Amino acid sequence: MSQTLRFMIAAVYGLLLFSGKVGYAAEMPAVDLPIPTAIDRLLADSHERMRIVPARRADDRTLLRRTTLDLAGRIPTPQEIVVYEQDSASERQSRLVDRLLAATDYAWHLRNELDAMLLSGGNSPQEWKEYLLQTSRANQPWDETFKDLITPNQEDQSKRGASHFLKSRVNDLDDLTNDTSSLLFGVSINCAKCHDHPLVEDWKQDHYYGLQAFFARTYQTKSQRLAEKPPAELTFKTTAGVEKPSRLMFLTGATVEEPADPRTDDQKKADLEEVRLQREKDDQAPPVEPAFNPRAELVRLALQPENRTFMARSIINRTWARLMGRGLVHPVDQMHSGNPSNHPELIDWLERDFIGHGFDVKRLIRGIVLSDAYARSSQWLYAEPQPSPDDFAVALVRPLTPNQLASSLLVGTSSPDRFQKAFDSGGWDELREQLEKQAAGTAKLFEYPGENFQVSVTEALLFNNAQRIENDYLRISQDRLAGYMQESLRPHDSGEQAGDGEIDAMIKTAFDVVFARHAQEDELQAFRHYFQDRGDRSPAAVQQMLWAMITSPEFRFNY
Amino acid sequence: MGLFSSPPAALGASAIRNIEAAKNLRDGVSRRGFLQASAVGAAFAASMHQLDILQSPVFAEELKKQQKHVILIWLAGGASQLETWDPKPGRATGGPFAAIQTSTPGVSISELMPKMAQRMQHTAIIRSLNTKNADHGGAAKILETGRAVDQGIPCPDLGAMIAHELGRADSQVPDYVSMYSSTEGRRQGGSGFLGGRYAPMFLTEQMIPENTSRLETLSDLDHSARGDLRAFLANKFRSGRPDLSVDSHNSAYQRVRGIMSSASLFDIEQESLAMRAKYGPTQFGEQCLVARRLVEAGVPFVKIARAWWDSHGQNFETHLELVTELDHVLATLIDDLADRGLLEHTLIATFGEFGRTPQINSSLGRDHFASAWSASLHGAGILGGSVHGKTDADGQKVIEGEVRASDLFATIFQAIGIDYRKEYHVGARPVPITDFGGQPIRGILA
Repeated sequence: MSQTLRFMIAAVYGLLLFSGKVGYAAEMPAVDLPIPTAIDRLLADSHERMRIVPARRADDRTLLRRTTLDLAGRIPTPQEIVVYEQDSASERQSRLVDRLLAATDYAWHLRNELDAMLLSGGNSPQEWKEYLLQTSRANQPWDETFKDLITPNQEDQSKRGASHFLKSRVNDLDDLTNDTSSLLFGVSINCAKCHDHPLVEDWKQDHYYGLQAFFARTYQTKSQRLAEKPPAELTFKTTAGVEKPSRLMFLTGATVEEPADPRTDDQKKADLEEVRLQREKDDQAPPVEPAFNPRAELVRLALQPENRTFMARSIINRTWARLMGRGLVHPVDQMHSGNPSNHPELIDWLERDFIGHGFDVKRLIRGIVLSDAYARSSQWLYAEPQPSPDDFAVALVRPLTPNQLASSLLVGTSSPDRFQKAFDSGGWDELREQLEKQAAGTAKLFEYPGENFQVSVTEALLFNNAQRIENDYLRISQDRLAGYMQESLRPHDSGEQAGDGEIDAMIKTAFDVVFARHAQEDELQAFRHYFQDRGDRSPAAVQQMLWAMITSPEFRFNY
Repeated sequence: MGLFSSPPAALGASAIRNIEAAKNLRDGVSRRGFLQASAVGAAFAASMHQLDILQSPVFAEELKKQQKHVILIWLAGGASQLETWDPKPGRATGGPFAAIQTSTPGVSISELMPKMAQRMQHTAIIRSLNTKNADHGGAAKILETGRAVDQGIPCPDLGAMIAHELGRADSQVPDYVSMYSSTEGRRQGGSGFLGGRYAPMFLTEQMIPENTSRLETLSDLDHSARGDLRAFLANKFRSGRPDLSVDSHNSAYQRVRGIMSSASLFDIEQESLAMRAKYGPTQFGEQCLVARRLVEAGVPFVKIARAWWDSHGQNFETHLELVTELDHVLATLIDDLADRGLLEHTLIATFGEFGRTPQINSSLGRDHFASAWSASLHGAGILGGSVHGKTDADGQKVIEGEVRASDLFATIFQAIGIDYRKEYHVGARPVPITDFGGQPIRGILA
């Protein structure tokens, strides 16, 4: 060992010792801790270091609404509120979570979220949505889903839908490369296409073109099948203008050597002709699987113990961000050395746990929503300045997704009786599927919330003036809340004024159904007066009060 | 009028406070109230007070006059530069139409544009665009955003950037209106990372924007009062939750009534018959008249897509019809804006995703061509009568002053007083408003 090296090692060692005393290298909690305990212990360490006292726990009704939106993709029904409150206070959250994770709603909502994440949602093919629904129902391990997405088995009816992840991008090699990297590995490397990444030392052009090389042969036949072109030399041009061959290279720099191409020139010509025919004619026999498939090599590399950290951390971070409003690493597609997490031990612990438990997404979700961190209030009413969102010391307000909003509008404006039968005698599964279908059309009118989401004036105009809002949600009919409220005042149709008590009862019902909480005194007053001022047009007054509720931010956001 | 038609006697003190706050929220002064309530608010509130000058009618009128606008006439499908701004008469590529002299000595344009030829003093021509991509979708993206390479994040289009730079937060009018009535090549464009606040109000089938008029079953008073009730709830919710998305939700609802009252701007029935006759009876003409009404009311960006210029066959018939109409409507729009004193504050730009091939194909058409084509700018900030760049004798390539999409955008920004070197920040990543290397074309700027 050289003198210099010896010295450097000593220096590094000394630094480690030193920082051990004054620094705060948190200890990694034990492997076998429950996830919520590990989350809360590590966040508590971090809060203590930063002298942050986190916000109090959200009240039960708020937590019920939040958890139901996150696990069932909609607000709770009145029946669910009753059941929730029957449980003892200490067990409410865990029993709620277990109920919701077992319910049919869970897979519908996870499907919608995965669809939005992987294919931007909206108009994705039925076959794809079916695939996502099945994997969500079966709680398919994430490494298997990852494999399905990159190397879909097109012969297997139940897996074929997965091919749309690639098919939707097959005409653009850059999309294939960028989206795979950003959505499945948590790193956006597209900056490295034209130059080495300006902010991140990890990413060179070699990485970009290395990852791209795994997809470079993928094409779609006229009969809509994914296929591989025969091998061909690939090159890229560096910023210095030098032509360089691109190798099959994973993000870690690990490469795959392709076996030598044994084909004769005639065979090569025939192969190219075969690709041409496959592309132009839809009556061809399915193309032959190549002996060496670069995408299969990518899957193999990415799942190796020393490399799988990328796909594992990416889905952990994205799941955390979905439930907590912000990633442990933020932004979620910038998980690289230049952008470390504020909670490095936590993401390390979660990674070890996730891999150790077979890439179990449902287990991860359950762990997060049972933590105290998840249950904090979203209101900061203290003298100290509000902590940064990266501290997870106060819950973040999150806009509802299009599907959450559309489904919640249907639930929140339904007559409280509407779900009673399904609740009493089964049939919820059917009702939930119907709800999902009914909501799909409206969901398309809203934008999926990304970072720094802003509500557009188009949405406000829609809620203000569109006939469909009136028809779908505010209709005075037996199955709608507006009809139920109006009906509750019916004895007074003959001219006699409804008393304060009856009006208040009606308003309280509305707050329970729409906001899943009790009306407060000032709200009762304001709504009562609003109603009494419109005694001559009671149905309209009811509709207007409901309108004010479904257009309020309390309804539009998960808080 | 507030939340109630008559003040109810039994209203509790806290409810009154909340309703006051709700009224304030609706009236757009909630920010001040909110800040005054906080410990650090006092100093900021004082500086807000100075801004009250903005509320004064005289000042507001003055501000409106200074406000800059852009009208983009998007020639969807790709117009031929040879039949418009860069004619090559007498060459094999020139086609049947002649070139005519304009009001600026030495500058000729196609004979299909006699009216514009008389308005060169308001016109700057760019003849040397080389944008490289000749595929409709890819090229449109380049000319919509001014960025030649995919940035890996959704980028705002020209309208969204200008709405962001020139729009006012509390504006009562939309700040980006986009009209695209034909279905060929229809693209909505979008605000990308700038967010939904700057997304276009997008008009397709109808001339009047959707959902801008109240349902007949609801009185105007109730429409407004239920908005107050909503604001009362919103104000309560906001307490202890200073969140920008929540704020954007509230400000979107605050803008509704203003936008609704501006819906009449889209109604050309309110213009005199004589004025409508000037623009002519075509849909494109009517849309340009609407654009003038919008600009006059303070809308910063209006885009009108005129389709479909994609003349792979019968290029000359197509252009005879479309260029003749463009010449007439553009000239009318320029005159109208000038008469109203708006032209010096309004920049009109005409371009599409690319130009057309100099060589004429066997169907007497011209195909997609992105390596040597033209755009025009008119009005605010440009040097009238100027021409930038040159193509060779047959129009096959640029031989002088090559211009990329980023340069065109930098020029537009510069002309209306937006710093083309400005940077946005998307997380830690700086994204310049003009794509890397874009420089304004100084020679055609005033």
